[in-house]
Amino acid sequence: MTENNVFRQEFLVKGGDFLRAGNVSWEIRNLLREIGMPSSIVLRAAIATYEAELNIIMYAWEGKLHLSVMPGRIHILAEDSGPGIEDIELAMTEGYSTATLEMRELGFGAGMGLANIKKNTDAFVITSEVGRGTRLELTFLTNGQRP
Amino acid sequence: MTNDTHHSVRINLEKCLGCVHCMIACPTKAIRIREGKARIIDELCIDCGECLRFCPEDAVESKTTSVSDLKAVPYKVVIPSTVLYGQFDNATLPNEILFALRRIGFDYVYEISTICELNNSALEMYLNAHPTPRPLISSTCPVVIRLIQRRFPSLCGHIVPIEPPRENAAKILRANLPRIAKVPASSIKIFHITPCPAKMVSINHPASMEKSYLDGAISIRDIFKTIYQTLHQNREETIMSHLFPETIFSGTGVGTALSGGETRGLKSHRTVAVSGVRDTIRALNQAELGLLKDVDLLECTVCPDGCIGGPLTVENRYLAKSRILRLVAMMGERTVVDSSDMNQLYNKDFLSFHFPIKPLESPPLDADPAQAITKAKRRNELFLQLPRKDCGACGAPDCRTLADDIVRGQAALEDCPFVKKEEK
Repeated sequence: MTENNVFRQEFLVKGGDFLRAGNVSWEIRNLLREIGMPSSIVLRAAIATYEAELNIIMYAWEGKLHLSVMPGRIHILAEDSGPGIEDIELAMTEGYSTATLEMRELGFGAGMGLANIKKNTDAFVITSEVGRGTRLELTFLTNGQRP
Repeated sequence: MTNDTHHSVRINLEKCLGCVHCMIACPTKAIRIREGKARIIDELCIDCGECLRFCPEDAVESKTTSVSDLKAVPYKVVIPSTVLYGQFDNATLPNEILFALRRIGFDYVYEISTICELNNSALEMYLNAHPTPRPLISSTCPVVIRLIQRRFPSLCGHIVPIEPPRENAAKILRANLPRIAKVPASSIKIFHITPCPAKMVSINHPASMEKSYLDGAISIRDIFKTIYQTLHQNREETIMSHLFPETIFSGTGVGTALSGGETRGLKSHRTVAVSGVRDTIRALNQAELGLLKDVDLLECTVCPDGCIGGPLTVENRYLAKSRILRLVAMMGERTVVDSSDMNQLYNKDFLSFHFPIKPLESPPLDADPAQAITKAKRRNELFLQLPRKDCGACGAPDCRTLADDIVRGQAALEDCPFVKKEEK
């Protein structure tokens, strides 16, 4: 895979910025559509990206989403500087959430985020360092087969 | 005219000054200024009519049925939208308006509020019978249908497959009028009086049936003056129309002129009513992401406050809204639709779509994904060279769209006046 046929774009996400929540995933969704990705994959990517974006807004100080699109696959790296996750396995559990009351009042923080990302991606890697930040790697295969 | 598309709006090239108002207002970026005139891009237009609202020169025209075209029709039937009832002063009751339409020369005037109520009950039955998917989206606003087809294809299956009241009213008339009025079916033409141009598209290019039951749509703007003048012609007849109310109105049905009109009666379902084109896009995006799974019915109307805010209305929408609310209060909440009739129609699929709504996806940057990636990269590079003033002078609504047009081969970097200056 040469660098020539990879589309890359970076998106900044600010922690606590609920006003713009969803803007980055909306932009990524539209980009993927314009590139002509199949709509079922665009939909999964949009859902997973939205969750990743919201995780940064809710829990981190700031973060970035790096989108790379190449023939056959979409790769999204969400990296944040934030408190990190102590127990990843627990965080992945559906319904488990450390969201504050305020976040829940806004309709966020149902504890489905990471599980939803896993469900919608073809490959999902999560690493975290407490006190430093979290890194999510989302991969979508675009040439038909889901592993 | 060269800019004739299958859309409901057209630019009058003589009146168009080539200013940027419509282009900037367009929520789907479907307008460009080319050779000094606004052009609508067919594949992007959703017929919302925002351009019509914003044009200072009145150069955006709706392609609705003109009143003069009606003369040749042997048997003219009209179904006015309930929005029409809010366009006159408080003293003018719906009965008088219907009466005036008869005097103008319509052979048959059909009052739609009962069918609107019928539609609401059908929606409720559909919701009860179909626990998934959620949210379901009502089908009344034709622009919402276009938006979903073009921008939210995955939501096509969420649209409640029940035809909107105007279509079902026309269908009922077609089935019964030849017998009742003793006229051959072929000489009957049915027209809707509409607050928006989009109804014309749903008539000419229906998304859920082969052929619409309606023959045309007349703009409220076009027919308002004639009705107004007729209203004040004969006071005696007006009094008679009060004394002999021929029509049974449904308060619930009249209320569908306003946003929330379809959801208000649904007591046992969770509903959300959204109005305005930008908020509708936002809500559909949330629905697509699965964030509205706890909502049973999502009612979206792209005009502000619902159909009452349509671009072809004449009255200030706040006044019009207050009048509709007053009528709803006057007519009360009592149901006029017989529930067993309703059940029969529903079970016979009389009210349903003929076929499901299919996605109509807009073309990607390139049919070949590798090429599309190259073009997307090129577009980002181009965007960095542009001033990001979004001035519209190049003929595109903003710098990002210009970059997009360039990679699609429809514009050149030199179209930007700022880029030129720097190069010189």
